[in-house]
Amino acid sequence: MGETVQLDEAGFETIVATHHGEIYRYLRRLAWRAVEADDLSQETFLRAYRARQRLTPDANVRAWLFAIATNVFRNHARSERRRRAAHDTVRVTRRELELDGPEAEAVAGQVRTLTEQAIRGLPLKQRLAFTLRKMHELDYEVIGQSLDCSPESARAHVFHALRKIRTMLNGHALPPTEPTR
Amino acid sequence: MSKPQKPPTCVQIEPDLIAAATGEATGEADARVQTHVATCRSCRDDFTRYRAVDAVVGTLRGETPAAADADAARARLVARLADLKTRLVSYKVFPSPLGPILIAASEHGVALVEYLRGAAADSRLFRMGDVDTQEGGGALERLHGELLDYLAGRRTRLEWPLDLRFARSDFERAVLQATAAVPYGAVSSYTGIAGDIGKPSAVRAVAQALRHNPVPIVVPCHRIVGIDGDLVGYAGDRIGLKERLLAVEGVPTVHERARIAREAMYHYDPNPDRQYCVPTCGSIFTRPLGQVRLFASRELAETTGLSPCVDCRPDLQPVLHGGPEMAPKPPDARRGRA
Repeated sequence: MGETVQLDEAGFETIVATHHGEIYRYLRRLAWRAVEADDLSQETFLRAYRARQRLTPDANVRAWLFAIATNVFRNHARSERRRRAAHDTVRVTRRELELDGPEAEAVAGQVRTLTEQAIRGLPLKQRLAFTLRKMHELDYEVIGQSLDCSPESARAHVFHALRKIRTMLNGHALPPTEPTR
Repeated sequence: MSKPQKPPTCVQIEPDLIAAATGEATGEADARVQTHVATCRSCRDDFTRYRAVDAVVGTLRGETPAAADADAARARLVARLADLKTRLVSYKVFPSPLGPILIAASEHGVALVEYLRGAAADSRLFRMGDVDTQEGGGALERLHGELLDYLAGRRTRLEWPLDLRFARSDFERAVLQATAAVPYGAVSSYTGIAGDIGKPSAVRAVAQALRHNPVPIVVPCHRIVGIDGDLVGYAGDRIGLKERLLAVEGVPTVHERARIAREAMYHYDPNPDRQYCVPTCGSIFTRPLGQVRLFASRELAETTGLSPCVDCRPDLQPVLHGGPEMAPKPPDARRGRA
């Protein structure tokens, strides 16, 4: 019956087109399996869709989506942890399976694999802060908003993460970088 | 965790050193670090190590998952969004002269207008299956404004696209469509609507369908009365609301008897010349409201394409509202009408 009622949804397709790839990559880095990243990215955008009317015209859409995705992942990680605590053996099997899988073989170089492992082994907040900063180059201000902490804490999380990764790589030869002055 | 016996200066500069090595330091901190590592071998090694770590991390940053995976994920998202959009209904509760009213709309149109008796959570909306609800939405505010205008008599039509998803059958949808065609200021009957949809014997079913009208006011079920002019029912037991809505349109009612003041309205009994009459024309007043449609004013009758009867000449002898033998005016009739 007649034209449709406009509910300010124009533009959401554009948001999906612009940001889905990056949000999916972010969640793919965080999740254990591709199928999880798929589910989580859907959850992120469906939540965003529902909340779109609270988005002000001058809002930083990218930061907003990262915050939602981070939240979605944290909830997911929480329930995963509970589930895994109940089925601990499953966790071990899964982990081995992942690392021996074709995905791991495809990673060029042992160091990269080790680094990835080190990142995955980080405490959640450090891992999130590190990924947001080093993989997606977000500002500490934005990272703080995503993690419900101050920019300073976000920065501290990243530094702790770097320290741990470095420790994990102790004893492994790293590719040379240009010498320092 | 940190190594034992590290000199205090080295411990102190470590955060800056990590920052400088991973491209996060300010110029000042960077200079401090460079000065320090020039003389401290252990920290120089640390610095080099962190730079190497940062370089490895950099290679990870460049890695992207298989494009096919990302594309498939996006395609699934687009499909789910489309599904969500069809199920998503936005709602908001607004104040009105008739009490709090909940308005709900989907992307297709207005799906629910409900007089609330209690909390919004008790709305019909939340008892419907296959619906995703969401509070608020810019368009709802506009609808509310138009509704207030309508209730104040400043507007005679609510030209809202409708989404009749909450009607329970095609029959109900047909009843609602036929009811929507009853113009402002006119009154028809359940029998009349049954006839309009080609099911003249389904009078009770028509009444039931209108009892479940998901969009009252917009689909004006208040313009539908019993065959003898009784108001019959509205929004459960809220006949008063029906009277008020009719009063807004200038339709006179006999408040004490909860019925239309038919004697104060123009009558139209379908005829080839499409002529409308005063109630005293022939036997028209005694005919049941099955076929006869009533109009509050000549203007309203004539805007639907009718012309004055050449026998009773309603144009020369208009029905007198409020005359001695006429029904008493409803509580706040004519409010806001020109």
